[in-house]
Amino acid sequence: MSETAIKLENVEKSFRIFKEKKQSIFHLLTSFNDTTRGYEKLKILDNISFEVKKGEMVGIIGRNGSGKTTLLKLIAGVLHPDKGIIVRNGEITPFLEIGTGFNGELSARENIIMYGIILGFSKGVIKNKVEDIIKYAELEKFIDTKLKHFSSGMYARLAFATAVQVDPEIMLIDEVLSVGDAAFQKKSFDTFKEFIQRKKTILFISHDLNSVRNLCNSVMVIDKGKIVCNDKPDIAIEYYQNLLNQTA
Amino acid sequence: MEENLLKTIWKRRSMIWVFAVNDLKLRYKNSILGFLWSFLEPLLLLGVMYIVFTTLFHNAIENYPVYLLLGIIIWNTFSRGTNMATNSLLGRAGLIQKMYFRREILVISSVLTSFIMMAFEFGAFAVFMIIFGVTPTVLVVLLPLVLVMLFTLTLGVSFFLSSLNVYYRDVQYIWTVVVQVGFFITPVFYKLDVFPSSIKSFLHLNPMVGVMEISRALVIHTQMPGLHTILATLAISGIVFICGYAIFRKLNYRLVEEL
Repeated sequence: MSETAIKLENVEKSFRIFKEKKQSIFHLLTSFNDTTRGYEKLKILDNISFEVKKGEMVGIIGRNGSGKTTLLKLIAGVLHPDKGIIVRNGEITPFLEIGTGFNGELSARENIIMYGIILGFSKGVIKNKVEDIIKYAELEKFIDTKLKHFSSGMYARLAFATAVQVDPEIMLIDEVLSVGDAAFQKKSFDTFKEFIQRKKTILFISHDLNSVRNLCNSVMVIDKGKIVCNDKPDIAIEYYQNLLNQTA
Repeated sequence: MEENLLKTIWKRRSMIWVFAVNDLKLRYKNSILGFLWSFLEPLLLLGVMYIVFTTLFHNAIENYPVYLLLGIIIWNTFSRGTNMATNSLLGRAGLIQKMYFRREILVISSVLTSFIMMAFEFGAFAVFMIIFGVTPTVLVVLLPLVLVMLFTLTLGVSFFLSSLNVYYRDVQYIWTVVVQVGFFITPVFYKLDVFPSSIKSFLHLNPMVGVMEISRALVIHTQMPGLHTILATLAISGIVFICGYAIFRKLNYRLVEEL
């Protein structure tokens, strides 16, 4: 069988919800006998275990606040789990929202270089990729334009192009397919398919059930911090739709 | 899971450098005037202090302008570095929340920014030495070693402050006041000899005192502090770094949730 890309075992994560949070040393010193201090724990993810193989594209669906983004942040390493083990096999794109780290005051070219450097590339490597990225994003005319003058569609295209062109082993994607027009969306879908053929792994959060159905090999439904269904896309999506109807 | 700090620094050196240079550009507002202003600031301070301490207090320190300027440069490097680094994590909250990379990088690059500025200031200092006809000692070649010590000390304090500042937002304001006090209990504009020896050894617990005295001895012929002072300064700087970094690691665990 194929190799493991990501594996989670009994992962649990809680957030601290402070009753009265005044984040200051001054407050700390003046209220040491204050009984209203302290926090409640809110469990976001509970006992999450799953495995994703190389060459798989896995969709994650669930209602707002179910814990999808927290799960992706844990896998990316932005958050640390309270319990459990997360195994990552291969370089992960550490971005969760496409376009993070972009700066409006810099040109498209400078932003691509900056982004590449944050991802861990050397300046030389990323400079060689600039042309490819701009070409993919179809923004050749605007390579030296400051990003603040870009339309939101152009911005999204550039961000998406940068993210895919750095060619990671594992991609974590949180809600992106709303970007660009139909033609660009088709292009991005083709890129995902080509990624999968090259044995790369994609974890993909979306509310767009059609694209999840078309792209993913399997789909996880998360509800109230638990995986309630992990199955073929059609089955999982049906499960999710039932879940929505029950509560509606 | 995470590799050791030195390895990370080496692997991420281009990121550290780019962030440091960007901070610098931001500080100079991309303008020549901004760059000149950064020289003017320590020179103005030098002028005021020089007038006050030579005419009002009849200071008898040899080559006083050079003595004073070196003190100001060393002190500014520390205070500017720690002050900038304190906000380094909070200031890039958006990036930290969405991308994974070692957070140490942000703190290190802030401290580096301060040291790049110091390099420029040392350029101005060289001109000063020529004007006042002070030739450096041969020992000046050892200055980089002291600067490494200063870097370690500044970084240790910065690790502590930057992570604590995420949890308690008034840390940056408290630290500004602490630095103000530090300026007066460190021999920037005076000689430690003005104090009786009992107080003197107590003041040596502040590692900046040792850093100040050693760098002056290396550059401008002042008397080298005793071996025990040098060793104590080394040890205290090391301890500050280890403790600062240990606290950083601990606070790093829930950092993103507190941002």
